[in-house]
Amino acid sequence: MKRMSGTTPTAGSASQNLLTLAAMILVGALALVSLYMGFRAYGDGEIETAFMYLIIGASGFIAIGYSFFRAKPPAKDTLEPKKYDVITTLECPQCNLKRVRNFQRGDYIFKRDEPCSRCDGQMVITAIHTKKEEKK
Amino acid sequence: MFQLLGQLGQAENEIQMILQTLFSFAFIIYLFYAQRIQAMTMLRQIEVTLRKIKGLRDDGKEASIKTIREIGKPDRDPTPMVERFLEHFIIEPVGMDPAGVVQKLGKILNVRESTFEKEVDLMAPNATESEKNNMENLLEASLALNIFYKVIRHYYLLGKKTMNIYIIMQIHMILPMILEQIEAYSAALQAFQDGIPIGDSVGPIVAAKLINGTSTREVAKEMVAAEIEYEGRRVIVTKANGPGGTVGKPGDAITNIMNENKGKITMLITVDAAGMLEGEQVGEIAEGVGAAIGGPGVEKYKIELVATEHNVPMYAVAIKQGMEHVVAPLVQPLFEATDKAVASVKGLILDYSKEGDTIVVAGIGNTVGVAQ
Repeated sequence: MKRMSGTTPTAGSASQNLLTLAAMILVGALALVSLYMGFRAYGDGEIETAFMYLIIGASGFIAIGYSFFRAKPPAKDTLEPKKYDVITTLECPQCNLKRVRNFQRGDYIFKRDEPCSRCDGQMVITAIHTKKEEKK
Repeated sequence: MFQLLGQLGQAENEIQMILQTLFSFAFIIYLFYAQRIQAMTMLRQIEVTLRKIKGLRDDGKEASIKTIREIGKPDRDPTPMVERFLEHFIIEPVGMDPAGVVQKLGKILNVRESTFEKEVDLMAPNATESEKNNMENLLEASLALNIFYKVIRHYYLLGKKTMNIYIIMQIHMILPMILEQIEAYSAALQAFQDGIPIGDSVGPIVAAKLINGTSTREVAKEMVAAEIEYEGRRVIVTKANGPGGTVGKPGDAITNIMNENKGKITMLITVDAAGMLEGEQVGEIAEGVGAAIGGPGVEKYKIELVATEHNVPMYAVAIKQGMEHVVAPLVQPLFEATDKAVASVKGLILDYSKEGDTIVVAGIGNTVGVAQ
Protein backbone atom coordinates (compact mmCIF):
# COMPACT_ATOMS: atom_id res chain seq x y z
CA MET A 1 0.00 0.00 0.00
CA LYS A 2 2.94 2.35 0.39
CA ARG A 3 3.22 2.83 -3.33
CA MET A 4 -0.09 4.67 -3.28
CA SER A 5 1.55 7.88 -2.17
CA GLY A 6 0.72 11.14 -3.84
CA THR A 7 -2.61 11.70 -5.43
CA THR A 8 -2.82 9.27 -8.31
CA PRO A 9 -4.41 5.96 -7.49
CA THR A 10 -2.58 3.06 -9.04
CA ALA A 11 -4.33 0.01 -7.66
CA GLY A 12 -5.31 -3.17 -9.43
CA SER A 13 -1.85 -3.82 -10.81
CA ALA A 14 -0.85 -7.17 -12.30
CA SER A 15 1.56 -7.81 -9.41
CA GLN A 16 -1.31 -7.66 -6.95
CA ASN A 17 -3.30 -10.16 -9.00
CA LEU A 18 -0.31 -12.48 -9.14
CA LEU A 19 0.06 -12.24 -5.38
CA THR A 20 -3.57 -13.25 -4.91
CA LEU A 21 -3.09 -16.17 -7.28
CA ALA A 22 0.05 -17.30 -5.46
CA ALA A 23 -1.77 -17.12 -2.12
CA MET A 24 -4.61 -19.20 -3.51
CA ILE A 25 -2.21 -21.83 -4.87
CA LEU A 26 -0.48 -22.02 -1.49
CA VAL A 27 -3.79 -22.42 0.36
CA GLY A 28 -4.83 -25.05 -2.18
CA ALA A 29 -1.61 -27.02 -1.73
CA LEU A 30 -1.90 -26.88 2.05
CA ALA A 31 -5.55 -27.92 1.89
CA LEU A 32 -4.62 -30.84 -0.35
CA VAL A 33 -1.89 -32.00 2.02
CA SER A 34 -4.27 -31.58 4.94
CA LEU A 35 -6.90 -33.71 3.25
CA TYR A 36 -4.30 -36.36 2.47
CA MET A 37 -3.22 -36.36 6.10
CA GLY A 38 -6.82 -36.58 7.19
CA PHE A 39 -7.50 -39.65 5.06
CA ARG A 40 -4.30 -41.25 6.24
CA ALA A 41 -5.22 -40.62 9.85
CA TYR A 42 -8.68 -42.00 9.24
CA GLY A 43 -7.17 -45.13 7.73
CA ASP A 44 -5.03 -45.50 10.85
CA GLY A 45 -8.11 -45.20 13.03
CA GLU A 46 -7.15 -41.82 14.51
CA ILE A 47 -10.59 -40.37 14.13
CA GLU A 48 -10.05 -37.12 16.05
CA THR A 49 -6.86 -36.21 14.18
CA ALA A 50 -8.49 -37.17 10.88
CA PHE A 51 -11.47 -34.96 11.65
CA MET A 52 -9.22 -31.98 12.35
CA TYR A 53 -7.25 -32.41 9.13
CA LEU A 54 -10.33 -32.96 7.03
CA ILE A 55 -11.91 -29.82 8.45
CA ILE A 56 -8.77 -27.79 7.67
CA GLY A 57 -8.56 -29.24 4.14
CA ALA A 58 -12.22 -28.68 3.40
CA SER A 59 -12.04 -25.12 4.79
CA GLY A 60 -9.13 -24.40 2.46
CA PHE A 61 -11.09 -25.53 -0.58
CA ILE A 62 -14.19 -23.69 0.56
CA ALA A 63 -12.11 -20.51 0.92
CA ILE A 64 -10.73 -20.94 -2.61
CA GLY A 65 -14.19 -21.63 -4.01
CA TYR A 66 -15.59 -18.58 -2.24
CA SER A 67 -12.80 -16.40 -3.64
CA PHE A 68 -13.60 -17.60 -7.17
CA PHE A 69 -17.29 -17.05 -6.56
CA ARG A 70 -16.69 -13.52 -5.36
CA ALA A 71 -14.18 -12.70 -8.06
CA LYS A 72 -15.60 -10.24 -10.59
CA PRO A 73 -14.38 -9.79 -14.13
CA PRO A 74 -11.34 -7.51 -14.07
CA ALA A 75 -12.54 -3.96 -13.59
CA LYS A 76 -11.82 -1.55 -16.40
CA ASP A 77 -9.16 0.96 -15.62
CA THR A 78 -11.43 3.85 -16.46
CA LEU A 79 -15.14 4.45 -16.54
CA GLU A 80 -16.18 5.86 -19.88
CA PRO A 81 -19.01 8.41 -19.86
CA LYS A 82 -22.08 6.80 -21.40
CA LYS A 83 -22.75 8.06 -24.93
CA TYR A 84 -26.39 8.36 -25.86
CA ASP A 85 -27.87 8.10 -29.34
CA VAL A 86 -30.17 11.09 -29.60
CA ILE A 87 -32.85 11.56 -32.24
CA THR A 88 -34.70 14.63 -33.42
CA THR A 89 -38.30 14.51 -34.65
CA LEU A 90 -39.41 17.15 -37.13
CA GLU A 91 -43.01 17.83 -38.07
CA CYS A 92 -44.53 20.06 -40.70
CA PRO A 93 -47.38 22.09 -39.17
CA GLN A 94 -49.06 22.40 -42.57
CA CYS A 95 -49.09 18.88 -43.99
CA ASN A 96 -48.22 16.95 -40.78
CA LEU A 97 -45.26 15.25 -42.45
CA LYS A 98 -43.10 13.66 -39.77
CA ARG A 99 -39.41 12.95 -40.10
CA VAL A 100 -36.92 11.51 -37.67
CA ARG A 101 -33.19 12.02 -37.93
CA ASN A 102 -30.12 11.93 -35.73
CA PHE A 103 -29.62 14.89 -33.42
CA GLN A 104 -27.34 17.62 -34.71
CA ARG A 105 -25.69 20.29 -32.62
CA GLY A 106 -27.91 23.37 -32.78
CA ASP A 107 -31.19 21.44 -32.69
CA TYR A 108 -33.70 22.45 -30.04
CA ILE A 109 -37.36 21.77 -29.38
CA PHE A 110 -39.65 24.21 -31.27
CA LYS A 111 -36.89 25.28 -33.63
CA ARG A 112 -38.12 26.09 -37.12
CA ASP A 113 -35.70 23.96 -39.03
CA GLU A 114 -35.56 22.80 -42.61
CA PRO A 115 -38.18 23.32 -45.35
CA CYS A 116 -40.80 20.60 -45.74
CA SER A 117 -40.10 18.22 -48.59
CA ARG A 118 -43.82 17.74 -49.32
CA CYS A 119 -45.26 21.25 -49.11
CA ASP A 120 -44.03 24.85 -48.82
CA GLY A 121 -44.10 24.78 -45.05
CA GLN A 122 -41.19 24.82 -42.67
CA MET A 123 -40.62 21.86 -40.42
CA VAL A 124 -40.52 22.36 -36.67
CA ILE A 125 -38.56 20.23 -34.23
CA THR A 126 -41.17 18.71 -31.96
CA ALA A 127 -39.14 16.19 -29.99
CA ILE A 128 -35.57 15.46 -28.99
CA HIS A 129 -34.83 12.40 -26.93
CA THR A 130 -32.58 9.38 -26.75
CA LYS A 131 -33.22 6.30 -28.86
CA LYS A 132 -35.14 3.59 -27.07
CA GLU A 133 -32.63 1.12 -25.72
CA GLU A 134 -33.23 -2.41 -26.94
CA LYS A 135 -33.68 -4.88 -24.15
CA LYS A 136 -30.91 -7.43 -24.08
CA MET B 1 11.28 -51.40 2.70
CA PHE B 2 10.60 -50.97 6.41
CA GLN B 3 13.28 -48.33 6.53
CA LEU B 4 11.55 -46.43 3.72
CA LEU B 5 8.17 -46.59 5.46
CA GLY B 6 9.82 -45.40 8.64
CA GLN B 7 11.24 -42.39 6.79
CA LEU B 8 7.79 -41.64 5.37
CA GLY B 9 6.28 -41.82 8.84
CA GLN B 10 8.90 -39.39 10.06
CA ALA B 11 8.15 -37.03 7.17
CA GLU B 12 4.47 -37.27 7.97
CA ASN B 13 5.13 -36.11 11.50
CA GLU B 14 7.07 -33.13 10.18
CA ILE B 15 4.24 -32.18 7.79
CA GLN B 16 1.82 -32.46 10.70
CA MET B 17 3.95 -30.12 12.71
CA ILE B 18 4.29 -27.61 9.84
CA LEU B 19 0.55 -27.62 9.20
CA GLN B 20 -0.27 -27.14 12.85
CA THR B 21 2.21 -24.27 13.12
CA LEU B 22 0.79 -22.61 10.01
CA PHE B 23 -2.74 -23.01 11.26
CA SER B 24 -1.89 -21.52 14.65
CA PHE B 25 0.06 -18.74 12.97
CA ALA B 26 -2.87 -17.88 10.69
CA PHE B 27 -5.19 -17.89 13.67
CA ILE B 28 -2.96 -15.52 15.63
CA ILE B 29 -2.57 -13.17 12.63
CA TYR B 30 -6.30 -13.09 12.12
CA LEU B 31 -6.88 -12.51 15.81
CA PHE B 32 -4.80 -9.34 15.83
CA TYR B 33 -5.02 -8.08 12.26
CA ALA B 34 -8.60 -8.91 11.16
CA GLN B 35 -9.68 -5.28 11.27
CA ARG B 36 -6.57 -4.13 9.43
CA ILE B 37 -7.14 -6.74 6.71
CA GLN B 38 -10.74 -5.54 6.38
CA ALA B 39 -9.58 -1.92 6.21
CA MET B 40 -7.05 -2.77 3.51
CA THR B 41 -9.70 -4.62 1.47
CA MET B 42 -12.03 -1.62 1.67
CA LEU B 43 -9.23 0.80 0.84
CA ARG B 44 -8.46 -1.21 -2.25
CA GLN B 45 -12.08 -1.04 -3.39
CA ILE B 46 -12.14 2.73 -2.79
CA GLU B 47 -8.86 3.03 -4.70
CA VAL B 48 -10.28 1.27 -7.77
CA THR B 49 -13.40 3.46 -7.72
CA LEU B 50 -11.30 6.57 -7.22
CA ARG B 51 -9.33 5.74 -10.33
CA LYS B 52 -12.55 5.49 -12.33
CA ILE B 53 -13.78 8.80 -10.93
CA LYS B 54 -10.49 10.43 -11.85
CA GLY B 55 -11.01 9.25 -15.43
CA LEU B 56 -14.46 10.80 -15.53
CA ARG B 57 -13.20 14.03 -13.98
CA ASP B 58 -10.49 14.25 -16.66
CA ASP B 59 -13.08 13.54 -19.37
CA GLY B 60 -15.18 16.40 -18.06
CA LYS B 61 -12.26 18.78 -18.14
CA GLU B 62 -11.27 17.72 -21.65
CA ALA B 63 -14.87 18.01 -22.88
CA SER B 64 -15.10 21.54 -21.48
CA ILE B 65 -11.84 22.65 -23.09
CA LYS B 66 -12.77 21.04 -26.42
CA THR B 67 -16.21 22.68 -26.50
CA ILE B 68 -14.83 26.08 -25.58
CA ARG B 69 -12.25 25.80 -28.36
CA GLU B 70 -14.83 24.63 -30.91
CA ILE B 71 -17.65 27.05 -30.11
CA GLY B 72 -16.07 29.95 -28.29
CA LYS B 73 -13.07 30.23 -30.63
CA PRO B 74 -10.95 32.00 -27.99
CA ASP B 75 -7.77 33.88 -28.91
CA ARG B 76 -5.76 32.07 -26.23
CA ASP B 77 -5.61 28.61 -24.75
CA PRO B 78 -8.60 28.22 -22.37
CA THR B 79 -6.98 25.40 -20.33
CA PRO B 80 -5.66 27.55 -17.44
CA MET B 81 -9.00 29.32 -17.18
CA VAL B 82 -10.90 26.04 -17.15
CA GLU B 83 -8.54 24.67 -14.50
CA ARG B 84 -9.15 27.77 -12.39
CA PHE B 85 -12.90 27.43 -12.88
CA LEU B 86 -12.85 23.79 -11.73
CA GLU B 87 -11.46 24.89 -8.37
CA HIS B 88 -14.22 27.42 -7.77
CA PHE B 89 -16.06 27.13 -4.44
CA ILE B 90 -18.95 28.70 -2.58
CA ILE B 91 -19.08 29.58 1.09
CA GLU B 92 -22.60 29.29 2.43
CA PRO B 93 -23.81 31.98 4.84
CA VAL B 94 -23.64 31.41 8.56
CA GLY B 95 -26.78 29.76 9.92
CA MET B 96 -26.35 30.62 13.61
CA ASP B 97 -28.73 33.55 13.20
CA PRO B 98 -31.28 32.11 10.75
CA ALA B 99 -33.17 35.38 10.17
CA GLY B 100 -32.55 36.49 6.60
CA VAL B 101 -30.34 33.52 5.74
CA VAL B 102 -32.28 32.87 2.51
CA GLN B 103 -31.63 36.39 1.27
CA LYS B 104 -27.98 36.05 2.17
CA LEU B 105 -27.74 32.74 0.32
CA GLY B 106 -29.61 34.27 -2.62
CA LYS B 107 -27.10 37.11 -2.76
CA ILE B 108 -24.16 34.70 -2.72
CA LEU B 109 -25.75 32.59 -5.46
CA ASN B 110 -26.32 35.69 -7.58
CA VAL B 111 -22.66 36.64 -7.24
CA ARG B 112 -21.68 33.08 -8.15
CA GLU B 113 -23.91 33.19 -11.20
CA SER B 114 -22.55 36.50 -12.42
CA THR B 115 -18.98 35.29 -11.79
CA PHE B 116 -19.60 32.18 -13.89
CA GLU B 117 -21.16 34.28 -16.64
CA LYS B 118 -18.15 36.58 -16.66
CA GLU B 119 -15.73 33.63 -16.70
CA VAL B 120 -17.52 32.04 -19.66
CA ASP B 121 -17.59 35.41 -21.44
CA LEU B 122 -13.83 35.59 -21.12
CA MET B 123 -13.30 31.97 -22.15
CA ALA B 124 -15.64 31.97 -25.15
CA PRO B 125 -16.11 35.53 -26.40
CA ASN B 126 -17.47 34.44 -29.79
CA ALA B 127 -20.25 32.16 -28.54
CA THR B 128 -23.94 33.10 -28.61
CA GLU B 129 -25.88 33.60 -25.37
CA SER B 130 -27.43 30.09 -25.63
CA GLU B 131 -24.05 28.53 -26.25
CA LYS B 132 -22.58 30.43 -23.32
CA ASN B 133 -25.35 29.13 -21.09
CA ASN B 134 -24.67 25.58 -22.24
CA MET B 135 -20.95 26.04 -21.66
CA GLU B 136 -21.61 27.37 -18.19
CA ASN B 137 -23.64 24.24 -17.42
CA LEU B 138 -20.92 22.05 -18.91
CA LEU B 139 -18.31 23.70 -16.72
CA GLU B 140 -20.55 23.30 -13.68
CA ALA B 141 -20.90 19.57 -14.39
CA SER B 142 -17.11 19.30 -14.69
CA LEU B 143 -16.75 21.28 -11.47
CA ALA B 144 -19.10 18.85 -9.69
CA LEU B 145 -17.07 15.87 -10.97
CA ASN B 146 -13.88 17.53 -9.72
CA ILE B 147 -15.37 18.11 -6.26
CA PHE B 148 -16.59 14.50 -6.06
CA TYR B 149 -13.12 13.27 -6.98
CA LYS B 150 -11.36 15.49 -4.48
CA VAL B 151 -13.67 14.65 -1.58
CA ILE B 152 -13.40 10.90 -2.15
CA ARG B 153 -9.64 11.20 -2.55
CA HIS B 154 -9.50 13.14 0.72
CA TYR B 155 -11.28 10.38 2.65
CA TYR B 156 -9.25 7.71 0.91
CA LEU B 157 -5.91 9.31 1.77
CA LEU B 158 -7.06 10.18 5.28
CA GLY B 159 -8.19 6.60 5.85
CA LYS B 160 -4.94 5.28 4.47
CA LYS B 161 -2.88 7.61 6.59
CA THR B 162 -4.67 6.86 9.85
CA MET B 163 -5.80 3.30 8.99
CA ASN B 164 -8.91 4.25 10.94
CA ILE B 165 -11.55 1.75 9.93
CA TYR B 166 -14.39 4.14 10.78
CA ILE B 167 -13.15 6.79 8.35
CA ILE B 168 -12.66 4.14 5.66
CA MET B 169 -16.05 2.55 6.32
CA GLN B 170 -17.88 5.87 6.01
CA ILE B 171 -16.73 6.48 2.46
CA HIS B 172 -16.87 2.77 1.54
CA MET B 173 -20.52 2.47 2.53
CA ILE B 174 -21.76 5.45 0.50
CA LEU B 175 -19.51 4.76 -2.50
CA PRO B 176 -22.18 3.05 -4.68
CA MET B 177 -24.58 5.98 -4.24
CA ILE B 178 -21.84 8.51 -4.96
CA LEU B 179 -20.81 6.56 -8.05
CA GLU B 180 -24.39 6.71 -9.31
CA GLN B 181 -24.37 10.50 -8.96
CA ILE B 182 -21.00 10.75 -10.64
CA GLU B 183 -22.18 8.68 -13.59
CA ALA B 184 -25.20 10.98 -13.88
CA TYR B 185 -22.95 14.04 -14.01
CA SER B 186 -20.74 12.41 -16.61
CA ALA B 187 -23.83 11.84 -18.77
CA ALA B 188 -24.54 15.56 -18.48
CA LEU B 189 -21.33 16.33 -20.35
CA GLN B 190 -22.76 15.12 -23.67
CA ALA B 191 -26.04 16.97 -23.07
CA PHE B 192 -24.44 20.33 -22.32
CA GLN B 193 -21.79 19.95 -25.00
CA ASP B 194 -24.43 19.60 -27.70
CA GLY B 195 -27.40 21.39 -26.15
CA ILE B 196 -29.57 18.28 -25.77
CA PRO B 197 -32.61 18.50 -23.46
CA ILE B 198 -32.05 16.67 -20.16
CA GLY B 199 -34.35 14.92 -17.70
CA ASP B 200 -34.73 18.13 -15.74
CA SER B 201 -36.03 19.86 -18.90
CA VAL B 202 -39.45 18.22 -18.58
CA GLY B 203 -40.89 21.23 -16.70
CA PRO B 204 -39.87 23.75 -19.41
CA ILE B 205 -41.09 21.32 -22.12
CA VAL B 206 -44.53 21.20 -20.50
CA ALA B 207 -44.59 25.00 -20.28
CA ALA B 208 -43.42 25.31 -23.91
CA LYS B 209 -46.15 22.92 -25.04
CA LEU B 210 -48.73 25.05 -23.25
CA ILE B 211 -47.29 28.25 -24.73
CA ASN B 212 -47.40 26.59 -28.17
CA GLY B 213 -45.82 29.44 -30.10
CA THR B 214 -47.62 32.32 -28.37
CA SER B 215 -45.45 35.43 -28.07
CA THR B 216 -43.50 35.71 -24.85
CA ARG B 217 -42.09 38.57 -22.78
CA GLU B 218 -39.29 38.70 -20.24
CA VAL B 219 -40.63 38.70 -16.68
CA ALA B 220 -37.42 38.19 -14.70
CA LYS B 221 -33.78 37.41 -15.35
CA GLU B 222 -33.67 34.60 -17.96
CA MET B 223 -37.41 34.00 -17.49
CA VAL B 224 -40.16 34.44 -20.05
CA ALA B 225 -43.94 34.34 -19.78
CA ALA B 226 -46.79 34.01 -22.21
CA GLU B 227 -50.53 34.44 -21.81
CA ILE B 228 -52.83 31.81 -23.23
CA GLU B 229 -56.53 31.23 -23.02
CA TYR B 230 -57.83 27.86 -21.89
CA GLU B 231 -61.53 27.05 -21.48
CA GLY B 232 -62.36 30.67 -20.66
CA ARG B 233 -59.48 31.01 -18.20
CA ARG B 234 -56.49 33.31 -18.55
CA VAL B 235 -53.37 31.20 -18.07
CA ILE B 236 -49.97 32.84 -17.62
CA VAL B 237 -47.26 30.33 -18.39
CA THR B 238 -43.67 31.00 -17.37
CA LYS B 239 -40.44 29.13 -18.02
CA ALA B 240 -36.73 29.77 -18.28
CA ASN B 241 -35.67 31.45 -21.51
CA GLY B 242 -34.44 28.72 -23.86
CA PRO B 243 -32.87 27.08 -25.69
CA GLY B 244 -29.66 27.78 -23.76
CA GLY B 245 -29.10 25.82 -20.57
CA THR B 246 -30.49 27.84 -17.68
CA VAL B 247 -32.99 27.41 -14.88
CA GLY B 248 -33.64 31.15 -14.67
CA LYS B 249 -35.20 32.75 -11.61
CA PRO B 250 -38.69 31.23 -11.35
CA GLY B 251 -39.16 32.75 -7.90
CA ASP B 252 -38.67 36.25 -9.26
CA ALA B 253 -40.83 35.51 -12.30
CA ILE B 254 -43.77 34.27 -10.20
CA THR B 255 -43.37 37.17 -7.76
CA ASN B 256 -43.45 39.69 -10.62
CA ILE B 257 -46.45 38.04 -12.28
CA MET B 258 -48.38 37.91 -8.99
CA ASN B 259 -47.57 41.54 -8.20
CA GLU B 260 -48.50 42.68 -11.73
CA ASN B 261 -51.88 41.01 -11.25
CA LYS B 262 -52.19 42.43 -7.73
CA GLY B 263 -52.49 38.93 -6.35
CA LYS B 264 -55.68 38.22 -8.29
CA ILE B 265 -54.51 34.74 -9.17
CA THR B 266 -56.76 31.75 -8.56
CA MET B 267 -54.07 29.14 -8.47
CA LEU B 268 -50.39 28.56 -9.07
CA ILE B 269 -49.25 25.29 -10.66
CA THR B 270 -45.59 24.34 -10.69
CA VAL B 271 -44.40 21.50 -12.91
CA ASP B 272 -41.05 19.92 -12.18
CA ALA B 273 -39.02 16.73 -12.36
CA ALA B 274 -39.12 14.76 -9.12
CA GLY B 275 -37.02 11.93 -7.80
CA MET B 276 -38.71 8.57 -8.09
CA LEU B 277 -38.69 5.88 -5.46
CA GLU B 278 -37.46 2.40 -6.30
CA GLY B 279 -40.32 0.52 -7.90
CA GLU B 280 -41.87 3.58 -9.51
CA GLN B 281 -41.82 3.97 -13.29
CA VAL B 282 -39.83 6.60 -15.16
CA GLY B 283 -42.25 9.25 -16.39
CA GLU B 284 -44.98 8.62 -13.84
CA ILE B 285 -47.03 11.74 -13.12
CA ALA B 286 -48.10 12.70 -9.64
CA GLU B 287 -50.15 15.65 -8.50
CA GLY B 288 -49.79 17.34 -5.16
CA VAL B 289 -49.75 20.65 -3.37
CA GLY B 290 -46.93 23.05 -2.60
CA ALA B 291 -44.13 24.47 -4.72
CA ALA B 292 -42.49 21.83 -6.92
CA ILE B 293 -39.00 23.21 -7.22
CA GLY B 294 -35.60 21.93 -6.16
CA GLY B 295 -32.28 23.71 -5.80
CA PRO B 296 -30.82 25.45 -2.78
CA GLY B 297 -34.24 26.72 -1.69
CA VAL B 298 -33.99 30.42 -2.50
CA GLU B 299 -36.45 30.31 -5.41
CA LYS B 300 -38.81 28.02 -3.50
CA TYR B 301 -38.79 30.48 -0.61
CA LYS B 302 -39.70 33.35 -2.95
CA ILE B 303 -42.59 31.36 -4.46
CA GLU B 304 -43.95 30.32 -1.08
CA LEU B 305 -43.61 33.85 0.25
CA VAL B 306 -45.50 35.54 -2.59
CA ALA B 307 -48.16 32.82 -2.72
CA THR B 308 -48.76 33.17 1.02
CA GLU B 309 -48.80 36.98 0.75
CA HIS B 310 -51.52 36.87 -1.92
CA ASN B 311 -53.25 33.81 -0.50
CA VAL B 312 -52.81 31.82 -3.70
CA PRO B 313 -53.15 28.03 -3.45
CA MET B 314 -50.17 26.14 -4.84
CA TYR B 315 -50.54 22.94 -6.81
CA ALA B 316 -47.73 20.79 -8.09
CA VAL B 317 -47.26 18.31 -10.91
CA ALA B 318 -44.26 16.04 -10.59
CA ILE B 319 -42.71 13.98 -13.37
CA LYS B 320 -40.90 11.07 -11.77
CA GLN B 321 -37.38 10.15 -12.78
CA GLY B 322 -34.30 8.51 -11.36
CA MET B 323 -31.13 10.25 -10.33
CA GLU B 324 -29.47 8.93 -13.48
CA HIS B 325 -32.00 10.75 -15.68
CA VAL B 326 -31.94 14.24 -14.20
CA VAL B 327 -28.93 15.63 -16.02
CA ALA B 328 -28.58 12.94 -18.70
CA PRO B 329 -30.00 13.43 -22.22
CA LEU B 330 -33.80 13.17 -22.13
CA VAL B 331 -35.08 9.61 -22.47
CA GLN B 332 -38.17 8.77 -24.52
CA PRO B 333 -40.47 7.82 -21.59
CA LEU B 334 -39.79 11.21 -20.02
CA PHE B 335 -40.48 13.07 -23.24
CA GLU B 336 -43.74 11.15 -23.61
CA ALA B 337 -44.58 11.95 -19.99
CA THR B 338 -44.64 15.67 -20.80
CA ASP B 339 -47.90 15.16 -22.75
CA LYS B 340 -49.41 13.46 -19.72
CA ALA B 341 -48.19 16.32 -17.54
CA VAL B 342 -49.82 18.87 -19.89
CA ALA B 343 -53.09 16.92 -19.55
CA SER B 344 -52.63 16.88 -15.79
CA VAL B 345 -52.13 20.66 -15.67
CA LYS B 346 -55.22 21.20 -17.80
CA GLY B 347 -57.17 18.85 -15.52
CA LEU B 348 -56.10 20.80 -12.43
CA ILE B 349 -57.11 24.09 -14.09
CA LEU B 350 -60.57 22.74 -14.94
CA ASP B 351 -61.09 21.17 -11.52
CA TYR B 352 -59.95 24.03 -9.33
CA SER B 353 -60.82 27.20 -11.25
CA LYS B 354 -63.76 28.67 -13.09
CA GLU B 355 -64.15 30.72 -16.26
CA GLY B 356 -62.65 34.20 -16.03
CA ASP B 357 -60.02 33.16 -13.47
CA THR B 358 -56.32 33.82 -13.89
CA ILE B 359 -53.92 30.94 -13.35
CA VAL B 360 -50.13 30.88 -13.26
CA VAL B 361 -48.30 27.81 -14.55
CA ALA B 362 -44.53 27.57 -14.08
CA GLY B 363 -42.41 24.98 -15.86
CA ILE B 364 -39.46 24.54 -13.52
CA GLY B 365 -36.12 23.13 -14.61
CA ASN B 366 -33.22 23.54 -16.96
CA THR B 367 -34.39 24.62 -20.39
CA VAL B 368 -31.36 23.34 -22.32
CA GLY B 369 -32.45 22.46 -25.86
CA VAL B 370 -36.00 23.74 -25.30
CA ALA B 371 -37.21 26.99 -26.83
CA GLN B 372 -40.69 28.43 -26.32
